[in-house]
Amino acid sequence: MAAAERLVMFDNVSKFYGEALGVNRVTLALEPGITSIVGPNGAGKTTLMNLMTGLLRPTRGAIRVLGILPSDSERIFQRVGYCTQFDFFPKGVNGYDLIHSMLCVHGYERSEAEAMTWGAIEKVGMTAAAHGKVAGYSKGMRQRIKLALAIAHEPTVMLLDEPLNGLDPMARAEVIEFFRQWAAAGMHVIISSHILHEVDIISDRVVMMSNGYVVAEGDIQGVRSEMEDHPMQILIRCDRPSLVASQVFQQDSVVEVKILERGEGLLVSTRNADQFYSLLNRIILDNRISVEAIAPADENVHSVYQYLIGNSGGSAS
Amino acid sequence: MAVYKQTYKPYRGAITVVRWRFAILTRYAFKSAFESRLLTSFYVLCFIPPVVAAGLMYVRYNAEAIAQLGLNGGDLIPINGLFFNMLFRIQTAMAFMLVTFIGPGLVSPDLANNALSVYLSKPVSRREYVIGKLGVLLILTSLITWIPGLILFALQTDLAGWQWFWDNSRIAVAIFTGAWLWIVTISLLSLAASAWFKWKPLAAASMLGLFLVAAGFGAFANEVLEPERQWGLLLNMSTVIAMIFDWLFEGIRQRGNVPSWTALASLATLCFASVYLLHVKIRACEVVR
Repeated sequence: MAAAERLVMFDNVSKFYGEALGVNRVTLALEPGITSIVGPNGAGKTTLMNLMTGLLRPTRGAIRVLGILPSDSERIFQRVGYCTQFDFFPKGVNGYDLIHSMLCVHGYERSEAEAMTWGAIEKVGMTAAAHGKVAGYSKGMRQRIKLALAIAHEPTVMLLDEPLNGLDPMARAEVIEFFRQWAAAGMHVIISSHILHEVDIISDRVVMMSNGYVVAEGDIQGVRSEMEDHPMQILIRCDRPSLVASQVFQQDSVVEVKILERGEGLLVSTRNADQFYSLLNRIILDNRISVEAIAPADENVHSVYQYLIGNSGGSAS
Repeated sequence: MAVYKQTYKPYRGAITVVRWRFAILTRYAFKSAFESRLLTSFYVLCFIPPVVAAGLMYVRYNAEAIAQLGLNGGDLIPINGLFFNMLFRIQTAMAFMLVTFIGPGLVSPDLANNALSVYLSKPVSRREYVIGKLGVLLILTSLITWIPGLILFALQTDLAGWQWFWDNSRIAVAIFTGAWLWIVTISLLSLAASAWFKWKPLAAASMLGLFLVAAGFGAFANEVLEPERQWGLLLNMSTVIAMIFDWLFEGIRQRGNVPSWTALASLATLCFASVYLLHVKIRACEVVR
């Protein structure tokens, strides 16, 4: 299979709504796996998803999803499942009919569509409520039926706009497990989310957006290591934190050392993590220090988001 | 970063032909349209005039029935272009009422619920969505206009003989052409109203309003300006279709010094305007500037 047929590619894509900027100069090549698009409201996340599905046409640039142009709706929607962030449904429809009719639109014979509908409904745990009107569903049930609608035709690329909104903790765990299974099978699971700690747990890579621009892209460790103007924070839990603090401060690249209260350890900020880890090894061995844990304290989506987008972003949690 | 081996295999079985997928939208639109008992009752009523017309034809060619009714042949309505013309005016009026009843409910709920993105994020284009919705109107109106019209024409041919067929063949053309001109126009118009107003009662009112207000304005213009040619007639849709039927059924080429082809142009303008409105409103993402 050619590489382009495995990737979701944006080549210098811009979208303007008249004078207003949607996204600008986006160039991405997304591999299979779980990709999270994060950013504050108005950053361009939904615009990016609508561009991938051809619901919006780019003002400039080109997009290919598995080598297919989004304007080719017949081919693209056989391979892509889209779950919008909004609870929009045709009036008066029930969950089963919604999915079954859309599978017929996909071109499946009625009997095939029926089996696939029940398959998708069972996956999201909506069997009992399948014949109830969607308008009467709770927020979580609507979210599940939207997911079922997106996955029913067994797509290769899943575009999920805020898929965890409204789900209770158990349902979130189940849905996240689905994402992992799909990704493990080699599918694209592209998620837009505000819930950064969950993004952090599930994502293979993140695309961070702000004001229509991609401000960072890649696996979170890679992104964090590129941010040289923000010293890396490392948390050390050991039996003699003050000794370690005094020793590490002798290194030039260490810019801050903080001994945390209640024995929570030592927080070190350094501009050169590799050099610091070498030094730390030596200190530990020379002084026979008993170490409980050493971990990066800000190598996560939340910290990177704060550094790159900060308070201008706002509403991510 | 995780590296995944592609073990997933998407569906590779047979799928239905793309060009008929819009019929699924039509099928579901039918289902929701006939949830109303009022509509079902009215639709049954729409078949009464053709049945009465068939009865009149039968009586006319049945000497025994004429005698039993105490009539003579001269008392009976002649079956000619005027007969079909009058029948069709009734049927087109009923088709208009039917479309006013069903049409506004086809698109407006999807727009009001922002459900277009659900449809358009499936392999269905905006054009197919409109054709799917239009299909229900065209099928229902066809069943009360040109289809019974052509059946009546065939019945009359059977009763009166092939000579009548050759002498009146333009009636068959008039039935087919006139009905399609009318049902396409009013169907597009009702979908456009449905898309534009988003609220079903308002969309239905706008359909009626367009016909009444435009007709009133046309009549007013003709009264005040007293033009040599009464162009204001072209704003009255019932007059416009009557002009087209007079032309098609009876060969009458003008009314109020206004040539009949301008009535066709008037319908065409209405169709283009409706298509433009649909083009503007039927979008997956409404861009608010």
